Amino acid sequence: MKTRDQEYRELFMAEALEYYDSMSRHLSELERNPDAVPALNELFRLMHNLKANARAMGFNDLGEVAHHLETLFGLIRDQQRTFSGPLTKVVFAGVDALGNMIRAVGAGQPLPDATALLDNLDRLVRGEEPVLEAEEAPESEEEANKKMELSDLVYIQVKKLDNLLNLVGELVIDRDRIMTLAQELDNPALLATAQHLFRISDDLQYSVMDARLVGVGVLLNKFPRVVRDVASAEHKEVELTLSGQDVQIDRNILQIITDALLHLVRNAVSHGLETTEQRLKAGKPAVGQLTLSALTERDDVLIQVRDDGRGIDTEAVRRKAIDRGLVSASTAATLNEKAVWAFLFEPGFSMAQQVTDISGRGVGLDVVKLALDSLGGQLRVESELGVGTTFTLVLPTSIAVKGALLVEVEERPYAVPLLHTDTVLSLHPGQISVVGGVLVTYFQEQTVPLVPLRLLLYDEGDGPLPLATRDDISGPQQVLVVNYNNRRLGLVVDRFIRQQNIVIKPLSKPLDTIDLFGGVTLLGSGQVCLVLDVPALTRLFLNKRP
Amino acid sequence: MNKRILIVDDSFYMRTMLKNMLTDAGYEVVGEAANGAQALEMAASTTPDLITLDVILPDNTGLDVLKNLRQIQPAAKVVMCSAVGQEVIVNEAIENGALAYIVKPFSEEKVLEIVGSALQNNDSEQSA
Repeated sequence: MKTRDQEYRELFMAEALEYYDSMSRHLSELERNPDAVPALNELFRLMHNLKANARAMGFNDLGEVAHHLETLFGLIRDQQRTFSGPLTKVVFAGVDALGNMIRAVGAGQPLPDATALLDNLDRLVRGEEPVLEAEEAPESEEEANKKMELSDLVYIQVKKLDNLLNLVGELVIDRDRIMTLAQELDNPALLATAQHLFRISDDLQYSVMDARLVGVGVLLNKFPRVVRDVASAEHKEVELTLSGQDVQIDRNILQIITDALLHLVRNAVSHGLETTEQRLKAGKPAVGQLTLSALTERDDVLIQVRDDGRGIDTEAVRRKAIDRGLVSASTAATLNEKAVWAFLFEPGFSMAQQVTDISGRGVGLDVVKLALDSLGGQLRVESELGVGTTFTLVLPTSIAVKGALLVEVEERPYAVPLLHTDTVLSLHPGQISVVGGVLVTYFQEQTVPLVPLRLLLYDEGDGPLPLATRDDISGPQQVLVVNYNNRRLGLVVDRFIRQQNIVIKPLSKPLDTIDLFGGVTLLGSGQVCLVLDVPALTRLFLNKRP
Repeated sequence: MNKRILIVDDSFYMRTMLKNMLTDAGYEVVGEAANGAQALEMAASTTPDLITLDVILPDNTGLDVLKNLRQIQPAAKVVMCSAVGQEVIVNEAIENGALAYIVKPFSEEKVLEIVGSALQNNDSEQSA
């Protein structure tokens, strides 16, 4: 794990070496043309920067030499000194000394002594002659080579990393294809090569993914100020605790959830936490606690926003959902609290009593849902009235590869991202009931509606699905239970194929408007496999349920 | 809302350090410019509340940039950034509308104090 001090040190070194190279280049130019103003300006600027950076790092001797050279180049630029005679020698010696000092810093060694050099530079600045030692023996070739050093740090645009990731995605698909071919041909030599290719491309894929990871802290560290601002506007006392800043996540994922997290945090301060008076009255400590934490769970990254505020008033949300016509009063009465909370993430749904400046400008928590859907992430809500609320964003570590379950319907394979799958069940007819024309089963004390995936995918028209009867069920049913927005839905499939990591490619036009499919992937067999979009499937089912 | 800051410095190291200090304190760093041309372009496109401006830049002196900035983005408050030895330029910058200056090497406390009070100045002017 890289600390900030290490990061600063690496940046300092990278830049110092770059400065040193430029200085040497400009010095050679100055040697040919002692009045070259651009070269003088550059040398002045480079010395100035090196001085400032070295002092910030605490390398005072290095800063001191750079400072003297800066002054000297300033004088030459202002034509109070000329770049000739003994001055040239001292300047070259000075830049060499800077190079040695920078390398000493890089190697973690003590800086070489620069007293004699500083003394000579001082003389030159004052307009006196420097004291030069006898001509030194020319450097050996080995020593000269030693100075040809490049920084071992590279800055790279995210765009270039995106490109690399796409190429790796393509490679992985071909790799799977070759692997399958090798197995089919049953050629041991080809199989051995294919297996080697498999391992190497696996390593490559993880290396590229690894290069894109950043600490969640780069986002979390922006929040102390946000919380302070919102809290002061709302006249609330809030203590923010951050944790898990070092948890690693893909940079683009972090970018995509920035607004969502901002919204959740503002929401927690504005609506979740009570005023000091209300808290004291409820017997709570005056200062509200807000925790922003990141942790890893299996392959996912969890980012949690936890407050010890008033909690979600489930009955108020239920009433509001009925008022807004999102659900009938009779259906609403049967919903458990998690199903009710799901309404909070409907577009435009806001529980704010009064619109404040900071949050609740008609923008609901649906922005959170949208961001997570686009990543194939999940949102978990836990809340207890009077005790507090925790929102958990479940995010993939990387956007490139997703775990998926391959299922078969009518001899075609489909992939369902694992993030949205709860479990697979093999149900006997006795475990299935028919309620209001919908097949249901009881699983973990919950009624889960079942729908043949075939019907959702192939049933034409916008009309409701046909009423289900017991006759539809013959023999054991293979059910994949998916979960979206705390709603469970059982998809009846013909069979389960296997679990596999897939690389999802977006559908090309004009197919990209079909929202039931999140994209397409190629299987090792070369077969095209559509990736199902669980949120869209769930919405379709809710719209078409009889 | 969070005050928005543009950092102008030709050293990546300095920009990173400043950015970390400012974002840790809750400011939003809307851009980082490494030279005068970038600074002017970014000042126009990001309309920051405050600009930290290095006095010595590769293509221009910070002073020229300051004069241009004052014209295209008069609302933005400018704080000069400089290592010791450039006091003459800094003084001239203050005469040209810079609000304050930060001397490198700087401490986090000092930077936040100077930026904070420069922004305060911004608020009082607006409400006056």
